Amino acid sequence: MVITSIDHPFDDVTPAVWTRDLVRKFGKKNAVDGLDLSIRPGEFYGLLGQNGAGKTTTIRMIVGLLRPTSGSTGIGEFDTWKSPLEVKKRIGVLPEEFNLYERLTGAELLDFTAAMHDVPKKEAVARRDDLLAMLDLEADAGKLVGDYSRGMRKKVALAAAIIARPPVLFLDEPFEGVDAVSARLIRRLLSRYTELGATIVFSSHEMHLVEKLCTRIGIMSHGKLLVEDTPAGLCRRMGVETVEDAFIAAVGGEDEEKKSLPWFESSPA
Amino acid sequence: MVRELASLKARLFWNGIRADRQRRIGLPLIAALVGWLSWTLATRHADHLSTLSGAARSEYLAWAALIVFVAWVALPVVVFPLDENLDAQQLATLPIPRPRLVAGLIAAAVISVPIIALVALVGTTVAYRPSALLVSLPAGAVFVVMAIAGSQGFTTVMSAVLHSRRGRDLAVFVIMGIGLASFSGYQLVRTTVAEMGVAAAAVAHPLDSLWWLVPPVAPAHAISAAWDGRWVTAVVALVVAAIWTLLIVAGWERVLRWLLVTPRQESAPASARRKVGFSRGRWEVPFIVARKELRFYLRDPRQRLVWTGTVIFVGLAIAAIVVGSAGLARFQDRHWLPMVAPVLVLMVGLPIALNQFGWERNAASYLFALPARPRAVIMGKNLAATTGLLLETLFLGSLLSWFSSSWRWMPLLLPVAIGAIGCLLAVGNIVSILAPLRLPREGTDMFAQATEQGLLALVSQVVSFFTIGLLLVLPASVTVLTVDFGQVVSPWIAGAFAVGWGAFWYGLSLGVSGWLLHRRVPEVVGWVQVY
Repeated sequence: MVITSIDHPFDDVTPAVWTRDLVRKFGKKNAVDGLDLSIRPGEFYGLLGQNGAGKTTTIRMIVGLLRPTSGSTGIGEFDTWKSPLEVKKRIGVLPEEFNLYERLTGAELLDFTAAMHDVPKKEAVARRDDLLAMLDLEADAGKLVGDYSRGMRKKVALAAAIIARPPVLFLDEPFEGVDAVSARLIRRLLSRYTELGATIVFSSHEMHLVEKLCTRIGIMSHGKLLVEDTPAGLCRRMGVETVEDAFIAAVGGEDEEKKSLPWFESSPA
Repeated sequence: MVRELASLKARLFWNGIRADRQRRIGLPLIAALVGWLSWTLATRHADHLSTLSGAARSEYLAWAALIVFVAWVALPVVVFPLDENLDAQQLATLPIPRPRLVAGLIAAAVISVPIIALVALVGTTVAYRPSALLVSLPAGAVFVVMAIAGSQGFTTVMSAVLHSRRGRDLAVFVIMGIGLASFSGYQLVRTTVAEMGVAAAAVAHPLDSLWWLVPPVAPAHAISAAWDGRWVTAVVALVVAAIWTLLIVAGWERVLRWLLVTPRQESAPASARRKVGFSRGRWEVPFIVARKELRFYLRDPRQRLVWTGTVIFVGLAIAAIVVGSAGLARFQDRHWLPMVAPVLVLMVGLPIALNQFGWERNAASYLFALPARPRAVIMGKNLAATTGLLLETLFLGSLLSWFSSSWRWMPLLLPVAIGAIGCLLAVGNIVSILAPLRLPREGTDMFAQATEQGLLALVSQVVSFFTIGLLLVLPASVTVLTVDFGQVVSPWIAGAFAVGWGAFWYGLSLGVSGWLLHRRVPEVVGWVQVY
């Protein structure tokens, strides 16, 4: 699949993705607590955090699926809550695999998504066929998404997220369950995509991938952004070798590692 | 383990109320409604018990037991779920012996709102003669367990049917058959009772003598025998009832065992025949959404079931005529009969029209992340619903025209249907945005649904149906003046008025609902999402 440059609407000053003093409360708990994000066009941004750190909540607010308690979010010059349509025209979202239309076939899901993004029909069909072939889904294109394996769902969801070539992509665990061959293809494709000017917000627990792909990393904990830097800068700052170690150091995981279960440390019954 | 599962259900029930505002509001309303219904049924039941005596009372009790049992078993599948089942699939990996699992599921099923009705009826029966408590109390308990096990077993069997591709294809017909049988049975009972009275009808159609053969009649027979002082018969009947209950439970356990270890059959061969691709024709958002919706009408078993509702209605009417009990045959020579089609179709369209975003389930978050104006999405959904409803109106109208040999009103049928659909969607769009209902995620047990959600669906449909009815008074009156009063109003004017009226309310509602949805996307997504 050949990708030419991205027609993104962002200048060098306006961030491609931003949040300002973003807060989301669930009951008394602050899932996101005064978050300020500013992601520049062309960045491959890794949003990291432990489970419940607020990553998915943040992404859902930026794309307009969850209302913030306070603060604002946006894409480029557009505020998510003032110009939702303009924001959605510029984003591709990799949904959780069970949020897809299970009773559309893989090909139909891609056509539907392309059509909603107003991709011309001929172009959409060509892109769909390319994506299906590249992701090794050609033989299963006529199968219902509900009948796909987990990895296949991830792949078709990723294809749906990129079929309209949006300038901003939100990818939540895109490689979970995807086979090694496809994963390598996708990685290459995404890296190339950011080189051409697209912005990718990437959330994953696979630290080696984050280290390999991301140009900048933000680590969240308890709804706050703890630290933000390039992978190398992050390692330097934390005085460690790898992003995984930097992450563990940032979220205080070293203390967690000291915890033990005495009853678990005897031979199984 | 039984206690653990019961408390799990109680915890889920309580957490559901705590976490969900809709449930907090809905549950007391539903409990009050079910309580009132239970009270009404129980007092009528008590009246019958006290006015009848001897054989008539025994026969009445046998019939009452059978009807309650059949209703308890069939209603969750045909109309709406009565109970939020614990998902046995989620418990499958735990080391729970299956007999205990089944016992736990039965105990857990007691913690629900509709159980009030069952307990009220059984309680009234048991309390009728305190002197027979020694038998009537265990017999009542056996009956409750039998009804719960029967109901859960039956929904498990239906889930097993849906487990296979062939089963999914046949499910509509299976459920239609159950609906037909239930309705025909109801009609038979209703008309017989109306003609003969409860006592004579019960005596004329003896059932009590078959107590050993018909499971739910056995506990009823035990109670009747105890009331008459025939203690040996009562105890024998109680033992037979217990054996029947164990057999039902064992049957359920076997189906459950099969279901838990058999992978869901994929529909690859069927779907592989589908053409690759989606795009054809215009690209505008309403058309794209409509095309997607129409595909779901055909592919989603639950939606398919809703859409075949019309067929069920017609089937019911024909069945009633065939059994000759409902007196519907007299409608055969009514020239206005085809005009009934839009009314029937409206009822069928209610579950779709009033919960348009609930049917999206988790995919709502996918849909609303796409760049489409909320109003265009609503229009797309409305377009699909209108297409389906108009096709059904035409089909049903033609069938009724043929049945009544009256084709003269066919040209008026479509404009009246358009007006009616306009009013239906006008109400439906607003309700869909303000009170969407959560449906089970695709691929999971299609009958599992929160109790109050299932009942709330019924309540919201009834209330909305009255609102729609109110909107339809004027065009319906004009149509009646045209059809049944020698064309006081010209059919052209009646048709144009119906279309104009429907278009007015639809247009008004579309503006409001587009504005509402624009502001409520996160709330709608949050409500319909199943985790």
